[in-house]
Amino acid sequence: MEFPYGKAPLWILALAIGSGVGVMGGTLTRTRQKPDLVFATFAKQHHESYVTVAPDFEKRQGVTVQLQLLSGRALTSRLQAAILSDAPVPDCVEIPSDAMGYFARGPLEDVGFVDLTDRVKREQLDQRMVESRFSMWSSRGHVFALPHDVHPVGLAYRRDLVEQLGINVETDLQTWDDFVRVGRQVTRDLDGDGIIDRYMMDLPSDGSYGIEILLLQRGINFFDAQGRLIMDAPDVRQAVCDTIMWYLRQTRGKDRISFPCGAGQPLSKAMIDGLCLFYFTPDWRTKIFEMDVPVLAGKMGLMPLPAWERGGRRTSVWGGTGIAIPKASASPELAWEWIKFLYLSKKDLGERFAQTNIIPPLREAWDLPQIQAPDRFFSNQRIGRLMAELAPQAPPRYVTPYTSQAGTKLNEVFLNAALRYESSGERGIEDYIRSEYQKAADYMRRVVDRNAFFKDSSNKSGGGEGRAKEARP
Amino acid sequence: MTAGICTHTREGRRHRMKLAATPYLFLAPFIILNCVFFLYPLFNSIFLAFYQTNGPKSRVFVGWDNFRFVLGDGDFHTAIVNTTIYAIASIFIQLPLSLGLALLLNSRRDRMKGFFRLLLFSPHLVGQIFVGVIFSVIFVPRFGLFNRFLQALIGWGLEERWLENPSLVMPAIILTSLWMYVGFNMIYFLAGLQNVEQDLVDAARIDGANAWHVFWNVTVPAIKPVTTFVVIMSTIGSFQLFELPYSLLSSGGGSGFGPKNAGMTIVGYLYNTAFNTGDLGTGSAVGWLLALIIFTISLLQIRISGTLKRDA
Repeated sequence: MEFPYGKAPLWILALAIGSGVGVMGGTLTRTRQKPDLVFATFAKQHHESYVTVAPDFEKRQGVTVQLQLLSGRALTSRLQAAILSDAPVPDCVEIPSDAMGYFARGPLEDVGFVDLTDRVKREQLDQRMVESRFSMWSSRGHVFALPHDVHPVGLAYRRDLVEQLGINVETDLQTWDDFVRVGRQVTRDLDGDGIIDRYMMDLPSDGSYGIEILLLQRGINFFDAQGRLIMDAPDVRQAVCDTIMWYLRQTRGKDRISFPCGAGQPLSKAMIDGLCLFYFTPDWRTKIFEMDVPVLAGKMGLMPLPAWERGGRRTSVWGGTGIAIPKASASPELAWEWIKFLYLSKKDLGERFAQTNIIPPLREAWDLPQIQAPDRFFSNQRIGRLMAELAPQAPPRYVTPYTSQAGTKLNEVFLNAALRYESSGERGIEDYIRSEYQKAADYMRRVVDRNAFFKDSSNKSGGGEGRAKEARP
Repeated sequence: MTAGICTHTREGRRHRMKLAATPYLFLAPFIILNCVFFLYPLFNSIFLAFYQTNGPKSRVFVGWDNFRFVLGDGDFHTAIVNTTIYAIASIFIQLPLSLGLALLLNSRRDRMKGFFRLLLFSPHLVGQIFVGVIFSVIFVPRFGLFNRFLQALIGWGLEERWLENPSLVMPAIILTSLWMYVGFNMIYFLAGLQNVEQDLVDAARIDGANAWHVFWNVTVPAIKPVTTFVVIMSTIGSFQLFELPYSLLSSGGGSGFGPKNAGMTIVGYLYNTAFNTGDLGTGSAVGWLLALIIFTISLLQIRISGTLKRDA
């Protein structure tokens, strides 16, 4: 018997049927072997550490756990699409902090994660963990994820060079005023060729993350705990203007004390050459730098940020990861046990700190020997202990769908001010910054007010509360 | 006998139907996939552009508000200006360079032609993301290769912050894209040049035409179809630019759009609206506006090239 359309179509059909059966068979086999819990993360370091502890959890609970590692962007976008379209999702996920804004864009009941507020209260996690860290994972007073970290920010520095210059970081650099004064003395052209060879610190000249770190240190957020825009609150406006002025002076003009070293290899090179003495570092960056630049082992130090006023806050925050349970999870209770196992198990937290230098938000873990141990790279300084001392001061950072856009607008204000500063100096600059900032705040209000789904949280009010309150789950 | 005729007729009809259905059967997989993955999303995005959405469950009809917002948004204007500058640079810097290289490589005597062709085309084989990441290091102040090269060549540029200074961001993007696309477009021109009839060139030379006259009066008209194609494709490509500036400006913790959105393109604006802030309705509106812009410009280009053709 002959196939009516000839041999080639017959082969095509045979291949199609064969591959279809193969795919179906594979899917059925996978379905039969489906693990009890699927967990996805974007952080390679976390994944490596979880792989080692997962068998223990499997043994205790008598279940199987599948760990998936994806890039941050892939994880976020796939999760967004899956939640929106009711497609299958992992039972438990780790997500980067900025992604939370997207997920909390709609009405509260549409947030794709299980509301953990009651569980957090029941387990007293709001007291056992650094409370301000819940700010990133909350929307309109409800907690949707547990914080993985604190990420307090300090200043890493070339200890050997700083000591050679006779600077005592504990006594000489307590406030930013002290820091700038000393910075102006050490920022120098050392070989007389007209090019400065040593700067006090690394600061991105376009503002980018630098201004946000400094604003958070001052306790400034553009949104409050309820997600309301407070950019135009008088104290927020004043703090932003002051910070921009400070930043302009340190990044531009003849008295500047900073150089934009960039990230990764350029920063490593700048630090090896001694081009910059200090740079901002949260806990996670200390480990990355240690791995990137082993040649500086024993030559580095870590100090708290100088305060804005004597006795003030000595840290800020930069980044964050949280763990959440998608509402469509097949095993939410098992997922919650997994979360507690990963984030509240003291023994594993110590090992994880040794691998990552990331200080956990769980207060009872801070006395672990790994966290208290001296660090060879940082000249045997106990950087874990220092980070743990800074952690309770970590300011809240409220994330909404518009947080990143508000940051971009702030950046525009800064760059406009920088152009003006470079052309006309300080004359009239403060008024100019105020007026540019007001334009940015007005723009953001227009953008935020368009969101039809946020109206239930009376988003249109705002503007009067000023400094945002700590998130209380 | 009657039964035999009936059977024969029925079989004939079935055979004719089979023959008539055959093309559709072969086309069916494409048509089905196209409908599911192209036509349905395409038409759905028209409706989406008139809604504010938070997934399929929450939708609010907002009429023309998404379009009104986008057209009045300063960031969108910035994106249009940036994209237009890039498109103009593509046409007036990139394409002449591509043509120049193609002319150089079109020489018959050059034994190394194949090698240079590969060398100049090879940057295009590297993905835009990789190129963006590599150039983000090349443009680093003081240590960057490009800054050091400029300093050695003209005594300027060592400290220039290409990716942090709003007025230098677009030149940095254009320079990066030159490295990537000049060789790629050169291949099209080279193909066009190889079809220029040698008899015409020889005849022009016998008539006393110098190299410029031959180029302007023989070569350029001969490669006009290729030029039109390259110009249209470059323009469309320019208006769809996204990955290159985004990766170039994301490295080192940047937002991906550069200071003051100096590297934000129209697709970048669309991405930011739809996938960072999650406003798929406004994102769809931007998508349709972009389609309209590309359609209009392509139409104009085809019209203009058609007019020139008639004039010629």
